Amino acid sequence: MSSSKRPSRDPEAGASEYIIDAEGVVVRFGEKTAVDGVDVKVLPGEIYGLLGPNGAGKTTTIRVLTTLQTPTAGRISVGGLPMPSENKGIREKIGIVQQMISLDKDISVRENIICHGYFQKVPKADIMRRMDSISSAMGLTPFLDSTVVRLSGGWQRKTSIACALMHDPEILFLDEPTAGLDTQSRHMLWDMIRQLNKAGTTIFLTTHYIEEAESLCNRVAILNGGRMAALGSPRELCDGIGRFAVEHNNEDHTRSYRYFSDWDGAKAFAAGFGDDESVVLRKTSLEDVFLELTGRKVTADFVKVVRI
Amino acid sequence: MSLLSVFDEALRVARPDVYYLRRNFLSVLVTMLVTPLLYFVSFCYGLGSSVSDIGGVSYVAFVIPGVVALSTLTSSFSAIANKVLAQRIYYTSFDEIVLCPLSPSAVILGKALVGFLKSMLACSILLAIGLLMSADGMHVTPMLYLCIAVSCLTFSFLGVLVGFISKSLTDIIMFTSLIVVPMTFLCGTVFSVSSLPEAVQYFISALPLTYSVECIRAAALGWGVPLLSLAVTAAFGAAFFAICHWMLVSGRISKK
Ligand SMILES: Nc1ncnc2c1ncn2[C@@H]1O[C@H](COP(=O)(O)OP(=O)(O)O)[C@@H](O)[C@H]1O
Ligand SMILES: [Mg+2]
Repeated sequence: MSSSKRPSRDPEAGASEYIIDAEGVVVRFGEKTAVDGVDVKVLPGEIYGLLGPNGAGKTTTIRVLTTLQTPTAGRISVGGLPMPSENKGIREKIGIVQQMISLDKDISVRENIICHGYFQKVPKADIMRRMDSISSAMGLTPFLDSTVVRLSGGWQRKTSIACALMHDPEILFLDEPTAGLDTQSRHMLWDMIRQLNKAGTTIFLTTHYIEEAESLCNRVAILNGGRMAALGSPRELCDGIGRFAVEHNNEDHTRSYRYFSDWDGAKAFAAGFGDDESVVLRKTSLEDVFLELTGRKVTADFVKVVRI
Repeated sequence: MSLLSVFDEALRVARPDVYYLRRNFLSVLVTMLVTPLLYFVSFCYGLGSSVSDIGGVSYVAFVIPGVVALSTLTSSFSAIANKVLAQRIYYTSFDEIVLCPLSPSAVILGKALVGFLKSMLACSILLAIGLLMSADGMHVTPMLYLCIAVSCLTFSFLGVLVGFISKSLTDIIMFTSLIVVPMTFLCGTVFSVSSLPEAVQYFISALPLTYSVECIRAAALGWGVPLLSLAVTAAFGAAFFAICHWMLVSGRISKK
């Protein structure tokens, strides 16, 4: 497991450096271990992505970090406050947008946002002001009077984010924010998340889209079967398995991959195949890393079965 | 934590329901009034003239407070239970309420509040209709309103509780057909429970609507101050609230 260091900060200097600092988190549901000894260390101001296939334990991890789920084991602090003794203080510092849209669907966008202001005890005088500034920053203003059911998924998700921002949290947790959205909505949300981050909010998000992790996150942790398989910037992760990939199309329509840290080595290896063989030499992508770590073989076998 | 701040927080929790009611007032009202009005029509007009007096009052006068008591249950119970279940399971918005700086008591009260107010309104309308139908022997007193209010609150808490313990819509439907529907028929809303077989009487003595009907009817017909049945109704409500509170505090309402 590699760890990225930003030039301006030294993460090893002390626990207080991390805005989210979790060690050895374990969550068991009866026999099932959903999260199996995970460490999460997030620096203030970064966009940290938890990438993993369905069932990897992403939602469970987010629920632990947001105090919604009591872990079976683990030492956790969020915003410098220890869990569970300071859960109340932690809740003031965080905002959460859950995987499922949790808005009141029968009332308007405006009403949903105002209600969240009231739930969070934002002073009455500030509620309208904050709603106006958040919704205009997010382009939600024209939709304020629409009933939530009438909006598309992307705008519903934006409304959820606006709600989560009403109490001005330091850390925003987003559980699969773009799952099920079309490409336009996805890019619209990515821009918005970057803007929020620029304005100072630390972002912790989960996703099973590699592209999302690659284009959005400063650091990505790959979670598989409840365990961390890798951690680093997208670039570091690619370098970790080898910066260059040689992809060989086998006769049975499956593919084999090999990774090289240097271009010459990769080129020499690719040249070793016969002229009639299909070989691709390219840069390693985060998708390669993801598939190598979470089980490429499963996918290859699946392809075989489908083709027969 | 003062009562005032619990109430302030409950109003915050209830706010989305208030917005919803403001938009859909008429349809909500009509939905609430259909069942009790059907009871009025079938029992007062259909049956009324052919049934002899009960307890010294006309059958119509006997039925009216029974139907009012019935609607303390029917006008809000299922709306609250369904909504709470949906917020817990399908929208997971309950988890977000838990993250907000709101006390558990306020969350329960807030979820029950609009349902309670709706039921109070429905009961007032039914009472007014009842007075038009048969004013003789009816006593609209603060005591009657207290009985109605306690009953409405009790069944609103029952709605929250059923929303908390159900795992799916099927559970609510089952609870409705096994407990709520039998209550509406058996608890003395349109006849005197003393005419039922003894075994059934034991069964219905365990049901809260029995006591609610008893105290509302006694208050409405001036049969003395129904302190015992009012206290039992309130005790049911307090028990429902307490179980909800325990579930919230111990984290048992989460979907996960
Ligand atoms: N309440 C629960 N009871 C039992 N198993 C659960 C529960 N919640 C999650 N799991 C299991 O834990 C694993 C991880 O789930 P989850 O965190 O939702 O994964 P992800 O969000 O990455 O798709 C899954 O196998 C899931 O079935
Ligand atoms: Mg998930």
